[in-house]
Amino acid sequence: MSTSVVAGRPALARPAWLDWLRHRPIWLALAGLLALAIVAAAGVVFGSVAIAPGDTLAILGHRLLGLPVTQTWPASAETIVVELRLPRVLMALAVGGALSLAGVALQGLLRNPLADPYVLGTASGAALGAAIALLIPVQFALLGFGLIHVLAFAGALGAVAVVYRVSRLGGLSSLSSVLLTGYAIGSLLAAGLAITMYLSGQNLRQIFFYLLGSFSLASWPQVAVGLPIIVLGSAVLLTRARSLNALLLGEETAAHLGLDVRRERLVLLAAASLVTAAAVAMAGLIGFVGLVVPHVVRLVAGPNARALLPLSAIWGAAFLAMADLLARIPGELPVGVITGVIGAPFFLLVLRRYRGGYEL
Amino acid sequence: MRRLSFKFLPLLAAVVFSACAGPGATPTPAPTPAPTPAPTATVALSPSAAPTPAGITLVDDEGTTVTLPGTPQTIVSLTPATTEIVFALGAGDRLRGRTDLDDYPAEATALPVVATYLGVHIEEVVAIAPDLVIAGGNNFTAAGDVSRLRDLGIPVLVVYAPDLDGVLADIRLLGKAVGEEQAAEGIVGAVEARITEVSNAVAGLDRPRTFYEIGNQPELYGPAPESFVADEVNLAGGDPITTTDPAVFAIPLELLVTLDPEVIILGDAAYGICPDSVATRPGWAGMTAVQDGVVRPVDDIVVTRPGPRIGEGLAALALAIHPEAEIEPPTAGTEYCPTL
Amino acid sequence: MSGASVELRDLTLSYGARRAVDGVSARIGEAEMVALLGPNGAGKSTLLRAVSGSGGGLATGGARQTGQVLIDDVPLDEYDGASLARMVAVVPGQTRAAFPLRVEELVALGRIPHEHPLLGPRAADRAVIDAAIERVGITNLRGRDVRELSLGERQLAVLAMAVAQAPRLLLLDEPTVHLDLRHQVAVMELLRDLAIRDGVTVLAVMHDINLAAHFFGRLLLLYQGRLVADGSPSDVLTPERIRAVYGVDPALVTVAR
Repeated sequence: MSTSVVAGRPALARPAWLDWLRHRPIWLALAGLLALAIVAAAGVVFGSVAIAPGDTLAILGHRLLGLPVTQTWPASAETIVVELRLPRVLMALAVGGALSLAGVALQGLLRNPLADPYVLGTASGAALGAAIALLIPVQFALLGFGLIHVLAFAGALGAVAVVYRVSRLGGLSSLSSVLLTGYAIGSLLAAGLAITMYLSGQNLRQIFFYLLGSFSLASWPQVAVGLPIIVLGSAVLLTRARSLNALLLGEETAAHLGLDVRRERLVLLAAASLVTAAAVAMAGLIGFVGLVVPHVVRLVAGPNARALLPLSAIWGAAFLAMADLLARIPGELPVGVITGVIGAPFFLLVLRRYRGGYEL
Repeated sequence: MRRLSFKFLPLLAAVVFSACAGPGATPTPAPTPAPTPAPTATVALSPSAAPTPAGITLVDDEGTTVTLPGTPQTIVSLTPATTEIVFALGAGDRLRGRTDLDDYPAEATALPVVATYLGVHIEEVVAIAPDLVIAGGNNFTAAGDVSRLRDLGIPVLVVYAPDLDGVLADIRLLGKAVGEEQAAEGIVGAVEARITEVSNAVAGLDRPRTFYEIGNQPELYGPAPESFVADEVNLAGGDPITTTDPAVFAIPLELLVTLDPEVIILGDAAYGICPDSVATRPGWAGMTAVQDGVVRPVDDIVVTRPGPRIGEGLAALALAIHPEAEIEPPTAGTEYCPTL
Repeated sequence: MSGASVELRDLTLSYGARRAVDGVSARIGEAEMVALLGPNGAGKSTLLRAVSGSGGGLATGGARQTGQVLIDDVPLDEYDGASLARMVAVVPGQTRAAFPLRVEELVALGRIPHEHPLLGPRAADRAVIDAAIERVGITNLRGRDVRELSLGERQLAVLAMAVAQAPRLLLLDEPTVHLDLRHQVAVMELLRDLAIRDGVTVLAVMHDINLAAHFFGRLLLLYQGRLVADGSPSDVLTPERIRAVYGVDPALVTVAR
């Protein structure tokens, strides 16, 4: 264990308003909700097809509130707003919030700034599951979900379960062994993915979809099945603030602060894996959200999980909905490309600006 | 973990792009019947559920029954080959959308692009409100996109030709779909005549071991056994050298050297690959085809695209394998690597 | 608030065949200030971990335990983690924050056993946190990142966290190691103040015999897992015993307190 004293370096002067904000996270939350509302509205109004905002509003009023509005728009506009954009925005919000929460939980549990929702093999498990689904010549669709979604979900959960078993996380093994196990299992699954991809010929494109993420196929049935899982897991994570705070100084200190460390490990891991698996099954692997959002929020609002959890959920939701909007303006770019393109430089900027003293 | 996964993207992109050059160049899975999901969309753009007396009932290449209420007037075509077929049928003026790969005939390039390699832009297709979408099978159009469109009440006809007979069947199928059956018979007759001409011309000739190079970056890619291209090489009077597995189109150089092609056809000539560069590739100099100088470029699009020009493509391929054969020169396609 | 009593009954902790703590019995009364002494490997830290509670099995690092630890005459394993945490605070030898953490945020962690599980710290908790920071004398460090502090400053911050936990029993593992003289004295005086003014029972593993002799009224000397002496500094720290236990010839000077 390394003690790191950043000696000699002068304490960085933070702008006064940032300090002010750090003590008043409620303003960050309100600003986040405002951003979320704006992005969500923009996500419904804008798209690759131009529909007048007035028409959009009238369609929403007509379809959601039952207002007696005379239909002046083409039927296709109604389909686009109600059947395509609304579920898409909802799903992007849910997945963004859930991945950010999972990132907070896993970074806190594993005490590793590099941890993200995919760190324990979820990503390669889901990708392998999706790839295998493409090799199975049975088409199956239930409530907007195909075999690919089901196997991606199962693959993600299966990978975590294997990591959990192999590393004996249920026991008292050290956390670095968990990370290494996750890495090893992930590599193994990636090799399996490579073989599967090699065998799958032209179907590769759909694996490509899974590796970069997209909300282009979001639909109400998917929202109806996926959203409850995500909301449930997220709700559990939101109640774990106390545990994550206790874990800030390590598991032993957490135990001395009265935490049932073994149980909390299981709860945090299960909830984070559940929402990640659901997110991956619906939208593929969307990188950077679960890594960057928690860090940026932590740098502004501090590590207190009581603020960090809800703020990450709000800002993560807004960020991903915005990334999805940017992804569909030029056509259909994978949303993971956008989150990477925006997320990585922004993250570097923030790290540079505030030199948070991260030890990697 | 993500970083690991990304490692595979170049490979993936290369394979898929080379495959895109000719959708027919892919292995054939047994056509699997796909249950047509009941349209769940509350807004049915075209009431496909209740066939009217004037309705057209079709069975697509995946076995899905597709019912059209009447002759479609607003069509979106999602493969280069079907776009060509629709134009050849004389229904090009009813097309409202295409993919970025659809480049023929020239009029097609004026159509809006509603799908790319990354997928169908569902929103744009819905805005067009098509009464027929023609998609590519074997995942040329992603299965998820097909079912999403169908869920939204848009009739989707999935077309996939595993061999030349399949191309003829697809031309007839699309002729029926767009109400141009007469025109379809005309095209089919012309293609059949060309096939017959080629078959007769090569009937008495040797059948050289022929390697059709689909691509050579990052690995070497050739036709899989029983694939569209392998079938064509056969018809064109060659003995196709194929990969070992119907699902694999990468071919190890060692295997190719062992099988020693007598003719090498450069399907990747459009990407700047020419015969002189082949001779300089490490390990290739010893092949009979290279030593005899029988390395010939073709226009891969005309040869492998399962559309109305397939007869000309077959003729071009046959002439590349047997320049001496008595076959009318093809009337379509680009000539690559001109000899000085 | 009064201190908690600790009783060790024939406590043995073994790793395989090796007995890290071997049949130790002792009783520590309320508000008593006791130092655990002994050379490296004598079993001091293992003993302290056993007293700090099972902590979900983490504390003793998988050692097999026989004998008993009683706190306020109740066996340790009959307490649940949460109520134990409201009674016992532990200052580990080393503290490392996983993420940038301010001193005031670190101290606030001490309220975790007391705060509302969902709503978090309330005004009363805030007051306790502020009081702890002031008492330890680190008000000037409040907004600093814990990881930018000197080791001495960091130790004071962790002590403030323990104070905020408002324990009846305070367990410390070498609280003055790596500290300069000024900070050593500051820490010792704080412990004494806690014992005298608040009646907190203090049990500390000490590596510095002089400091222990000066500030603690009672010393427990461990050697090869066994308790070899228990009593006031002058009773415990005889030259013969120090020679036998530490293997050095001491030069003892009695300093007037």
